[in-house]
Amino acid sequence: MSLPEIAFALLAAVAVVTAIAALLVRELVHTILWVAVFFVDLAAIYFLLEAPFLGVLQLGVYAGAVTILLLFGVMVTRKRIFSREAATGIGPVAVALALLTVVFVGTGLGELPQGEVTIRAYDPSTLSVNLFGPNGAWLLLLGLIMLAAVSGAIFLVREGRE
Amino acid sequence: MTTLGPTGFLALSSALLGIGLFGILTRRNFVLLLISIEIATNAAILNFVYFAAFAPSAPLGISGQSIAVVLVGFAATEVAVGLAIVLALNRAKGTINVAEVTELKS
Repeated sequence: MSLPEIAFALLAAVAVVTAIAALLVRELVHTILWVAVFFVDLAAIYFLLEAPFLGVLQLGVYAGAVTILLLFGVMVTRKRIFSREAATGIGPVAVALALLTVVFVGTGLGELPQGEVTIRAYDPSTLSVNLFGPNGAWLLLLGLIMLAAVSGAIFLVREGRE
Repeated sequence: MTTLGPTGFLALSSALLGIGLFGILTRRNFVLLLISIEIATNAAILNFVYFAAFAPSAPLGISGQSIAVVLVGFAATEVAVGLAIVLALNRAKGTINVAEVTELKS
C-alpha cells in the first residue's frame, strides 16, 4: 500500500467510528464533540484529495460554524446539559435500511473503472473561475436560499409570538 | 502524484449515508436528527469531491468541486433553519423531542 492509501484507510476508519460514536453516545454534548472530530476528519480527506479550498471550507463552515451552532442550540434548549436521550423502538428497521443502502451502493461499484486513479490537483483560482463562471447560477441560487433561510429563521425566533 | 481507487471512497460514502439514515430513523431529539442529516449530506459531498478528482476532463472535474462548495453552503443554511425551529419548538412546547410534536396530526 502506498502512503496515500494508508492515510485514506486511517482517515476513513476514523470517520466511520466517529460518526457511529456520535449517534450512539448518550450525552448530547458528547455527540457534538464526536461530530466535530468527524468534520475535521473529512476536511483531512479533502486535503488528501488535493482539494485544499474545500478542506478549508469544511474546517470553517462545519468544524467551526455548524459545531458551535449545534452547541449553542443544545445550550439554550436544555436545563441540564448532560442529559440522556431516548431512542425510538425502530432500531432494527433502521439498521436494515442502512445496510440495504450500503449493499445498494456496493452493487454499483463493479461498474466503475477499478485500480489506481490519479488524483488531479486544481489551483483554487481555477475553482473560483469555474464557480463564478459556468456555475454562477448555483451560487446565485445559494444566495437566494440563504436570504430566505435568514428571514425564515428570524421569523421563527422573533419575540412576541404567542 | 497521488493515486487512490474509487472503491474505498464509495465504501466510506455509502457507510456514512447508512449511518446518517440510521440516525434519522432512530433518534427523537431534534438536534440529533440535524446531526444525522449532516452526516448523510457529508457523504454526498465527499462523493462530489472524489469524483471531481476522478473526472476525465478538467472543466468537468472542477465543476464537481464547485457543486461541493455550493452544497456546503446549503447544508450550513439547513442547520441554521433547523436550529431556529429547535428554538421555536423549545419556546412553544418546552421540548425538542420530535415524537411529542403532533400538532399537524389529524
